[in-house]
Amino acid sequence: MNEGEQGLASASLSERRPGERWRVEFPYHWDADDLVSRRELLHFVVYTSGALFSGTALLGLLALLRRPRPTAPQLIARASEVPEGQAFYFRYPEPDDQAMLLRLPGGAFVAYNQKCTHLSCSVYYQPERERVFCPCHEGVFNPLTGDPVAGPPQRRLQQILVQQQGDLLYAVGQVP
Amino acid sequence: MSVVLAALAIGVLLMGIQLWLLTVALDLFLAGESSGVWQLALTSGAIFLGGLGILWLLGRRPRIRRPPAR
Repeated sequence: MNEGEQGLASASLSERRPGERWRVEFPYHWDADDLVSRRELLHFVVYTSGALFSGTALLGLLALLRRPRPTAPQLIARASEVPEGQAFYFRYPEPDDQAMLLRLPGGAFVAYNQKCTHLSCSVYYQPERERVFCPCHEGVFNPLTGDPVAGPPQRRLQQILVQQQGDLLYAVGQVP
Repeated sequence: MSVVLAALAIGVLLMGIQLWLLTVALDLFLAGESSGVWQLALTSGAIFLGGLGILWLLGRRPRIRRPPAR
Protein backbone atom coordinates (compact mmCIF):
# COMPACT_ATOMS: atom_id res chain seq x y z
CA MET A 1 0.00 0.00 0.00
CA ASN A 2 1.21 3.50 -0.66
CA GLU A 3 1.10 6.25 1.93
CA GLY A 4 -2.31 7.45 0.89
CA GLU A 5 -3.81 4.02 1.26
CA GLN A 6 -2.09 3.50 4.60
CA GLY A 7 -3.58 6.76 5.82
CA LEU A 8 -6.97 5.62 4.69
CA ALA A 9 -6.49 2.25 6.36
CA SER A 10 -5.63 3.84 9.69
CA ALA A 11 -8.72 6.05 9.62
CA SER A 12 -11.96 4.63 10.92
CA LEU A 13 -14.65 3.62 8.53
CA SER A 14 -16.84 6.52 9.48
CA GLU A 15 -14.05 9.03 8.83
CA ARG A 16 -13.42 7.89 5.28
CA ARG A 17 -15.13 9.59 2.41
CA PRO A 18 -17.75 7.40 0.78
CA GLY A 19 -15.81 7.02 -2.44
CA GLU A 20 -12.57 5.85 -0.79
CA ARG A 21 -13.63 2.89 1.34
CA TRP A 22 -13.23 0.53 -1.55
CA ARG A 23 -9.60 1.61 -1.96
CA VAL A 24 -8.86 0.25 1.50
CA GLU A 25 -10.80 -2.94 1.06
CA PHE A 26 -9.31 -3.62 -2.38
CA PRO A 27 -5.79 -2.15 -2.39
CA TYR A 28 -4.21 -1.96 -5.85
CA HIS A 29 -0.93 -0.44 -7.00
CA TRP A 30 -2.37 1.95 -9.52
CA ASP A 31 0.95 3.61 -10.33
CA ALA A 32 2.60 0.34 -11.27
CA ASP A 33 -0.36 -0.58 -13.44
CA ASP A 34 0.46 2.15 -15.94
CA LEU A 35 4.03 1.03 -16.53
CA VAL A 36 4.98 -1.54 -19.15
CA SER A 37 8.68 -1.96 -19.47
CA ARG A 38 10.45 -2.71 -22.72
CA ARG A 39 11.38 -6.14 -21.45
CA GLU A 40 7.75 -6.93 -20.72
CA LEU A 41 6.79 -5.75 -24.18
CA LEU A 42 9.52 -7.93 -25.66
CA HIS A 43 8.13 -10.90 -23.73
CA PHE A 44 4.70 -10.13 -25.16
CA VAL A 45 6.14 -9.97 -28.69
CA VAL A 46 7.84 -13.35 -28.31
CA TYR A 47 4.67 -14.94 -26.91
CA THR A 48 2.71 -13.57 -29.86
CA SER A 49 5.39 -15.00 -32.13
CA GLY A 50 4.80 -18.35 -30.45
CA ALA A 51 1.09 -18.09 -31.09
CA LEU A 52 1.68 -17.35 -34.77
CA PHE A 53 4.07 -20.28 -35.00
CA SER A 54 1.47 -22.52 -33.35
CA GLY A 55 -1.10 -21.50 -35.94
CA THR A 56 1.28 -22.20 -38.82
CA ALA A 57 2.34 -25.50 -37.29
CA LEU A 58 -1.29 -26.53 -36.88
CA LEU A 59 -1.90 -25.86 -40.56
CA GLY A 60 1.20 -27.89 -41.45
CA LEU A 61 -0.01 -30.77 -39.31
CA LEU A 62 -3.49 -30.68 -40.82
CA ALA A 63 -1.98 -30.59 -44.32
CA LEU A 64 0.12 -33.69 -43.56
CA LEU A 65 -2.81 -35.57 -42.03
CA ARG A 66 -5.26 -34.67 -44.76
CA ARG A 67 -6.20 -37.64 -46.91
CA PRO A 68 -8.63 -37.67 -49.84
CA ARG A 69 -11.89 -39.28 -48.76
CA PRO A 70 -12.83 -42.22 -50.96
CA THR A 71 -16.35 -41.83 -52.29
CA ALA A 72 -18.52 -44.29 -54.12
CA PRO A 73 -19.19 -43.56 -57.80
CA GLN A 74 -22.28 -41.44 -58.22
CA LEU A 75 -24.43 -41.38 -61.31
CA ILE A 76 -24.61 -37.86 -62.71
CA ALA A 77 -26.69 -38.09 -65.90
CA ARG A 78 -26.95 -39.77 -69.25
CA ALA A 79 -24.49 -38.47 -71.82
CA SER A 80 -27.30 -38.25 -74.39
CA GLU A 81 -29.22 -35.89 -72.11
CA VAL A 82 -26.45 -33.27 -72.04
CA PRO A 83 -26.13 -31.51 -75.39
CA GLU A 84 -22.81 -30.24 -76.59
CA GLY A 85 -21.97 -26.83 -75.21
CA GLN A 86 -24.38 -27.20 -72.30
CA ALA A 87 -24.09 -27.74 -68.57
CA PHE A 88 -25.83 -30.09 -66.15
CA TYR A 89 -25.95 -29.15 -62.51
CA PHE A 90 -25.85 -31.80 -59.80
CA ARG A 91 -24.62 -32.34 -56.22
CA TYR A 92 -21.44 -34.17 -55.36
CA PRO A 93 -19.98 -35.58 -53.09
CA GLU A 94 -22.34 -34.35 -50.38
CA PRO A 95 -25.90 -33.05 -50.86
CA ASP A 96 -24.69 -29.58 -49.90
CA ASP A 97 -21.90 -29.55 -52.50
CA GLN A 98 -23.06 -28.02 -55.77
CA ALA A 99 -21.31 -29.25 -58.90
CA MET A 100 -21.67 -28.86 -62.64
CA LEU A 101 -21.02 -31.16 -65.58
CA LEU A 102 -19.95 -29.46 -68.80
CA ARG A 103 -20.09 -30.93 -72.24
CA LEU A 104 -17.55 -28.85 -74.09
CA PRO A 105 -17.55 -28.16 -77.83
CA GLY A 106 -15.98 -31.31 -79.25
CA GLY A 107 -17.88 -33.61 -76.96
CA ALA A 108 -15.56 -33.87 -73.95
CA PHE A 109 -17.10 -34.06 -70.47
CA VAL A 110 -15.60 -32.19 -67.54
CA ALA A 111 -17.03 -31.53 -64.12
CA TYR A 112 -16.21 -29.01 -61.42
CA ASN A 113 -17.30 -27.98 -58.00
CA GLN A 114 -19.46 -24.91 -58.39
CA LYS A 115 -17.80 -23.10 -55.51
CA CYS A 116 -15.73 -20.14 -56.70
CA THR A 117 -12.21 -20.24 -55.30
CA HIS A 118 -12.37 -16.55 -54.46
CA LEU A 119 -15.19 -16.22 -51.93
CA SER A 120 -17.23 -19.39 -52.57
CA CYS A 121 -20.00 -17.94 -54.73
CA SER A 122 -21.67 -20.31 -57.19
CA VAL A 123 -20.17 -20.20 -60.66
CA TYR A 124 -22.05 -21.10 -63.81
CA TYR A 125 -21.24 -21.97 -67.40
CA GLN A 126 -21.69 -19.44 -70.17
CA PRO A 127 -21.61 -21.52 -73.36
CA GLU A 128 -22.00 -18.52 -75.67
CA ARG A 129 -18.74 -17.10 -74.29
CA GLU A 130 -17.18 -20.50 -73.59
CA ARG A 131 -16.27 -19.67 -70.04
CA VAL A 132 -17.21 -20.39 -66.45
CA PHE A 133 -18.26 -17.17 -64.78
CA CYS A 134 -18.65 -16.02 -61.20
CA PRO A 135 -21.15 -13.19 -60.95
CA CYS A 136 -20.08 -12.00 -57.49
CA HIS A 137 -16.80 -10.39 -58.50
CA GLU A 138 -16.69 -11.23 -62.21
CA GLY A 139 -14.21 -14.06 -61.92
CA VAL A 140 -13.67 -16.10 -65.06
CA PHE A 141 -12.41 -19.67 -65.33
CA ASN A 142 -11.26 -21.72 -68.29
CA PRO A 143 -13.90 -24.46 -68.80
CA LEU A 144 -11.33 -26.91 -70.15
CA THR A 145 -8.92 -26.77 -67.20
CA GLY A 146 -10.71 -24.84 -64.45
CA ASP A 147 -7.84 -22.35 -64.25
CA PRO A 148 -8.68 -18.74 -63.40
CA VAL A 149 -8.24 -16.44 -66.37
CA ALA A 150 -9.70 -13.16 -65.14
CA GLY A 151 -10.93 -11.47 -62.01
CA PRO A 152 -9.91 -11.99 -58.38
CA PRO A 153 -9.81 -15.84 -58.17
CA GLN A 154 -6.27 -17.15 -57.86
CA ARG A 155 -6.88 -20.93 -57.67
CA ARG A 156 -8.42 -23.32 -60.15
CA LEU A 157 -11.85 -24.80 -59.66
CA GLN A 158 -12.03 -28.10 -57.80
CA GLN A 159 -12.25 -30.66 -60.58
CA ILE A 160 -14.46 -33.75 -60.29
CA LEU A 161 -13.36 -36.92 -62.07
CA VAL A 162 -15.93 -38.17 -64.56
CA GLN A 163 -16.11 -41.72 -65.88
CA GLN A 164 -18.34 -42.72 -68.77
CA GLN A 165 -19.76 -46.23 -68.94
CA GLY A 166 -21.80 -46.49 -72.08
CA ASP A 167 -24.34 -43.71 -71.97
CA LEU A 168 -24.00 -43.21 -68.20
CA LEU A 169 -21.75 -40.62 -66.62
CA TYR A 170 -20.40 -41.20 -63.10
CA ALA A 171 -18.57 -38.93 -60.67
CA VAL A 172 -15.78 -41.07 -59.21
CA GLY A 173 -13.71 -38.63 -57.15
CA GLN A 174 -12.16 -35.23 -56.93
CA VAL A 175 -8.78 -34.09 -58.14
CA PRO A 176 -6.69 -33.34 -55.01
CA MET B 1 18.54 -0.19 -22.86
CA SER B 2 19.43 0.29 -26.49
CA VAL B 3 19.97 -3.46 -26.79
CA VAL B 4 16.44 -4.11 -25.55
CA LEU B 5 15.06 -1.51 -27.94
CA ALA B 6 16.93 -3.05 -30.86
CA ALA B 7 15.67 -6.52 -29.90
CA LEU B 8 12.15 -5.13 -29.69
CA ALA B 9 12.36 -3.55 -33.13
CA ILE B 10 13.70 -6.75 -34.69
CA GLY B 11 11.12 -8.80 -32.82
CA VAL B 12 8.22 -6.74 -34.16
CA LEU B 13 9.62 -7.03 -37.68
CA LEU B 14 9.99 -10.78 -37.41
CA MET B 15 6.48 -11.06 -35.99
CA GLY B 16 5.19 -9.30 -39.08
CA ILE B 17 7.04 -11.85 -41.20
CA GLN B 18 5.49 -14.66 -39.18
CA LEU B 19 2.05 -13.20 -39.77
CA TRP B 20 2.76 -13.15 -43.49
CA LEU B 21 3.95 -16.78 -43.33
CA LEU B 22 0.69 -17.73 -41.61
CA THR B 23 -1.41 -16.11 -44.33
CA VAL B 24 0.60 -17.84 -47.07
CA ALA B 25 0.28 -21.18 -45.24
CA LEU B 26 -3.47 -20.74 -44.91
CA ASP B 27 -3.77 -19.88 -48.59
CA LEU B 28 -1.80 -22.99 -49.58
CA PHE B 29 -3.83 -25.15 -47.20
CA LEU B 30 -7.11 -23.93 -48.62
CA ALA B 31 -5.82 -24.55 -52.13
CA GLY B 32 -5.18 -28.16 -51.21
CA GLU B 33 -1.43 -27.95 -51.65
CA SER B 34 0.17 -29.68 -48.71
CA SER B 35 3.76 -29.62 -49.88
CA GLY B 36 4.79 -26.10 -48.88
CA VAL B 37 2.86 -25.66 -45.67
CA TRP B 38 5.17 -27.57 -43.35
CA GLN B 39 8.16 -25.68 -44.71
CA LEU B 40 6.52 -22.41 -43.76
CA ALA B 41 5.82 -23.84 -40.31
CA LEU B 42 9.50 -24.71 -39.92
CA THR B 43 10.54 -21.19 -40.89
CA SER B 44 8.06 -19.72 -38.44
CA GLY B 45 9.38 -22.06 -35.76
CA ALA B 46 12.93 -20.95 -36.42
CA ILE B 47 11.89 -17.33 -35.96
CA PHE B 48 10.13 -18.21 -32.70
CA LEU B 49 13.21 -20.06 -31.43
CA GLY B 50 15.29 -17.02 -32.30
CA GLY B 51 12.97 -14.90 -30.18
CA LEU B 52 13.32 -17.32 -27.28
CA GLY B 53 17.08 -17.17 -27.70
CA ILE B 54 17.01 -13.39 -27.48
CA LEU B 55 14.94 -13.58 -24.31
CA TRP B 56 17.43 -16.00 -22.84
CA LEU B 57 20.35 -13.74 -23.70
CA LEU B 58 18.63 -10.73 -22.21
CA GLY B 59 17.84 -12.73 -19.10
CA ARG B 60 21.54 -13.19 -18.53
CA ARG B 61 22.10 -9.48 -18.90
CA PRO B 62 21.68 -7.56 -15.64
CA ARG B 63 18.87 -5.07 -15.62
CA ILE B 64 20.15 -1.49 -15.29
CA ARG B 65 18.16 0.28 -12.60
CA ARG B 66 18.59 3.99 -12.73
CA PRO B 67 18.18 6.03 -9.53
CA PRO B 68 15.11 8.27 -9.53
CA ALA B 69 15.70 11.73 -10.93
CA ARG B 70 16.00 14.47 -8.30
